[in-house]
Amino acid sequence: MGKNNKMEIVFLFMLVLITVFTILSLFIIFIEGIPYIKEAFLSEEIQFSIKMSVGTATVSTGIVMFFAVPSGYILERREFFGKKLLGTILEIPLSLPYLVIGICLLTLFASDFGKTLRSMGFPVIFHRNGIVVAQTFVNLPFAISMIRSTVREIDPRLEFVAKNLGASNWYAFYSIVLGITRRSLLSIGLICWSRALGEFGATLMLVGVTRMKTETLPGSIYLNISTGNNEIAMASAILLIIIALLVQLTSKYLTKNDTAMRRRG
Amino acid sequence: MIQQCEEEVDWMEDIVSIKDVRMKVGEFQLGPIDLDIKRGEVFAFLGKTGAGKTLLMELIGGFYTHYEGTIQVFSDVPVGIVLQEYALFPHLTVAENIAYGLKCHHYSKSETQKKVKDITSFFGINHLLGQYPDTLSGGEKQRTALARTMAIRPDLLLLDEPFSALDVATKERIYGQILKIKEEFDCTIVIITHDFHEAIRLADRVGILLHGKVKDVVAPGELFVRRQDNEVNEFLGIGENVDKKRTI
Repeated sequence: MGKNNKMEIVFLFMLVLITVFTILSLFIIFIEGIPYIKEAFLSEEIQFSIKMSVGTATVSTGIVMFFAVPSGYILERREFFGKKLLGTILEIPLSLPYLVIGICLLTLFASDFGKTLRSMGFPVIFHRNGIVVAQTFVNLPFAISMIRSTVREIDPRLEFVAKNLGASNWYAFYSIVLGITRRSLLSIGLICWSRALGEFGATLMLVGVTRMKTETLPGSIYLNISTGNNEIAMASAILLIIIALLVQLTSKYLTKNDTAMRRRG
Repeated sequence: MIQQCEEEVDWMEDIVSIKDVRMKVGEFQLGPIDLDIKRGEVFAFLGKTGAGKTLLMELIGGFYTHYEGTIQVFSDVPVGIVLQEYALFPHLTVAENIAYGLKCHHYSKSETQKKVKDITSFFGINHLLGQYPDTLSGGEKQRTALARTMAIRPDLLLLDEPFSALDVATKERIYGQILKIKEEFDCTIVIITHDFHEAIRLADRVGILLHGKVKDVVAPGELFVRRQDNEVNEFLGIGENVDKKRTI
């Protein structure tokens, strides 16, 4: 940085300011909530919400990655009629408030379609299945967008060479695209999982928050704050912050290695 | 000289037949191109950067499917391709890169190991088997890419500017290796190059490609003969006063 570059000094100051604000916001909860951590984790309610959150987030992340990997790949690699329109439609949820997404889902699953699903043994509204549906819907466009960026970085000629050497389309996709991007995909999956753990708005609209029934970790924070049980709410928040931090660190480690891998080809 | 060469070439059957091929990529128009490549020859496409050489090679190799005209490759085995930047699979070791095609062709593990050993000995890279592509020099990457392609024993080998990233000494060594490949593997070789010396050194016939069109196909010895087409003369650096019978 130049000695007399006032602009950069101002920018750096702004950067430090927001970093300090972020650290303060996150760690104040640690200071306030840590004394109650043990009590919170021993409570049946928090144990239930952890299990509910981890279970639904894991299932929804599996579903998201199952659909997002092929969708992101085809959107990035191939030209076809209506591709731009399709891409735009898929990205709409990215810019919608999650409450709006929740209302959309609620309307859909309250319709005859939802009733049919219920009669087939798949209830969604006010049921944990709804949590998976909300998390999936919120994460799908995000995952597709991330996967498109990842696929964009792979030289398409690598797949061409693989097919030329005798690989089928499936095997070239598996061995080259998935082979090269495996760490990035793992990282995207982890971020989706972490986002699913923290999903609240759409879930609230679709399944509500019923104690010990559809109570996720963010739901538990909401319920405990509503009833003045701030200590337990903060303990749940600490848990979510720790998970988010671990996911961030792991994700950065994975993508660093993966980017190096793509570049060294 | 030209006639003799052409008569010799005409004895051979075609391995590639290109009929009225055209393709538009953005503003660039490739073709129309009509050309036959004979089995067993080394054919060089010579042209400036942006002449459409790589695009034509990729068409022959099957990279694109949306083009006009017909390209026929008369071979039962896949076309072997070595791209300009080698396109080695970055997440696989040298051994795994070379074994890739063999695995696709369902060779057993022991057969694959033997073939990898044989081919790496031929290319002198058996000391690199456990290394990843990013740790290799340009010449080593080149030989690995060649070994990976030749492991599946293609009838037709396409080389896109294979020597452009190599130093002079390495180039000379690999020129010899290319001719040795032709002998050893009994295949047809198509080379894309912008280097006159390379075309003359390696090719049996040279196709001059300018602005997406094949302007002439000649024996290397006749490359610098003055033509009616001033664009070709200019590309080859043949001035007004050059002896029309100048040959290499």
